[in-house]
Amino acid sequence: MRAVSHLQLDPVSVRRASRRPRTSVFWLSLPLAVTVGLVFLLPLTGLLPDAGQNLDATRQPPGFLDGGAWAHPLGTDKLGQDVLTQFVSAGRLTIVIGLVGALVAIVPGTLLGVLAGYFRGWVDRVISVLINAQLALPFILVALAIIANRGSSLPVLFLVLALTGWAVCARVTRSATLAVRERQFVFGLRAAGASETRIVLRHILPNLAGTIVALGTLQVGTAILVESALSFLGLGVVPPRASWGSMLASGQDELSQAWWIAFFPGLAITLLVLLVNLLGDALLTHHDPRKRRR
Amino acid sequence: MSELLTVSGLTVTARLAADDLRLLDAVDLELRAGQIIGVVGESGSGKTTLARAVVGLLERNVRVDQGAITLAGQTVVAPGVDRTDRIRGSAVGMVFQDASRSLNPLMKVRTQLAEVLRRHVRDITRAEVERRSVEVLAQMRITDPTRVLDSYPHQLSGGLRQRAAIGLAVVTRPALVIADECTTALDVTTQTKVVELFRTLVDELGIGLLFVTHDLMLASDLCDRIAVMSRGRVVEHGDADQVLEQPQQEYTRRLLAAIPSWS
Repeated sequence: MRAVSHLQLDPVSVRRASRRPRTSVFWLSLPLAVTVGLVFLLPLTGLLPDAGQNLDATRQPPGFLDGGAWAHPLGTDKLGQDVLTQFVSAGRLTIVIGLVGALVAIVPGTLLGVLAGYFRGWVDRVISVLINAQLALPFILVALAIIANRGSSLPVLFLVLALTGWAVCARVTRSATLAVRERQFVFGLRAAGASETRIVLRHILPNLAGTIVALGTLQVGTAILVESALSFLGLGVVPPRASWGSMLASGQDELSQAWWIAFFPGLAITLLVLLVNLLGDALLTHHDPRKRRR
Repeated sequence: MSELLTVSGLTVTARLAADDLRLLDAVDLELRAGQIIGVVGESGSGKTTLARAVVGLLERNVRVDQGAITLAGQTVVAPGVDRTDRIRGSAVGMVFQDASRSLNPLMKVRTQLAEVLRRHVRDITRAEVERRSVEVLAQMRITDPTRVLDSYPHQLSGGLRQRAAIGLAVVTRPALVIADECTTALDVTTQTKVVELFRTLVDELGIGLLFVTHDLMLASDLCDRIAVMSRGRVVEHGDADQVLEQPQQEYTRRLLAAIPSWS
């Protein structure tokens, strides 16, 4: 019964399904835009509590709990620093890490993947060996080796994110390119005298846009999670800088006394990554003009 | 009138892991401007290989061993010679089997036509691109060229799409058009219209058309001359009427006998 029933699309649901992408892109972008806006604009308003230490007010609960004070809406940590102020500045860094971290993986990954998929032959063989070699290396070992050698800093973190992310991107875009290059219009373009560069840049890449956007958003999520994991191990963002991942890490040994230090950044990471992934999904549908209603 | 396209003794071999496979074996063919030659044969007879050899788009493991292809007196393909990049898209246009897949799905017809024009017509102005795009679609007997120009391929019907694809092939005013099974994916009525369109294009523009098909009846309707291919060889080559009415070869007789008839 079930096998049959999914084939019976009634016109109403078909129409609704084809309308959904546009609205869901909007409704998913909105909270993301609000988050980004708040995190970047709040510090400019001067409304945030002072960031300094106050050893008289350590581990104060959030304002909405018993014993809390609205002077510190999300409470304070073990040094009496305001959690909300930290949360906002850590959010800034987290978002920057997510975006840049995705970019540094996507750009080289896509480039190599498309080259391998389009030109095949020895180009493909060399790049595929590199991809397999990279995927065979355990991520945490690569990260440890680099960080042990170069110390933790933002450029090193981006290097780690690029090294751990490019191979997956390259492999996915390679296979997507293989599929696109076999399509008849690519042969038609060659028969019409289009140059290889033009075919790759103007025709193959746009046809991969859906894949690249999906990969990109997933990579934003992955970058944030990888950064959080590294920070949790003390290898990512180190004081005085803070990200949501490093806040989570520093809050973990306080969980029994002051759960709010770790809770809010943890919740924020979860929601941010979820929203970003859902947005990637919606963009994927939105991009394809065949799936879009005009 | 001199020959537009001459294929002489063309021998093409594919290098496979186990063995070499001869795809074309000493193929001879001539085509004049304003003429249609039908290349007919069953699957695997080498007709598509022949079409691809003319535009120099054979697979990597496939090589021209002997013979030559000349276009308007210029040798474009010979063993170790490939000058097809000078003719591709400019002197030779190509139409494919399935127009829904031979147009880029993400681009409007307008953009795709403009791209080909800009590539092949030096210093073409924007207004000229627009004028020639509309003109070529009108030549395709499309009644509403602007709507088609502003459409994505998936928004057009099969027939319109195939006509837009033909327009894409002839917009640069090539001397030779190669149509590779380009009516196979269409229904019979649309097929007839496309075939009629080809006939008028050839008569009006004086182009030469190399029409590859497995449909002998269709070829007999459209073509001035017919070349019957089998296993990489041209087994019969002559005027359409002569080939159909007095087939010299056993293979052609069998091919003709395979056509269902009313009686």
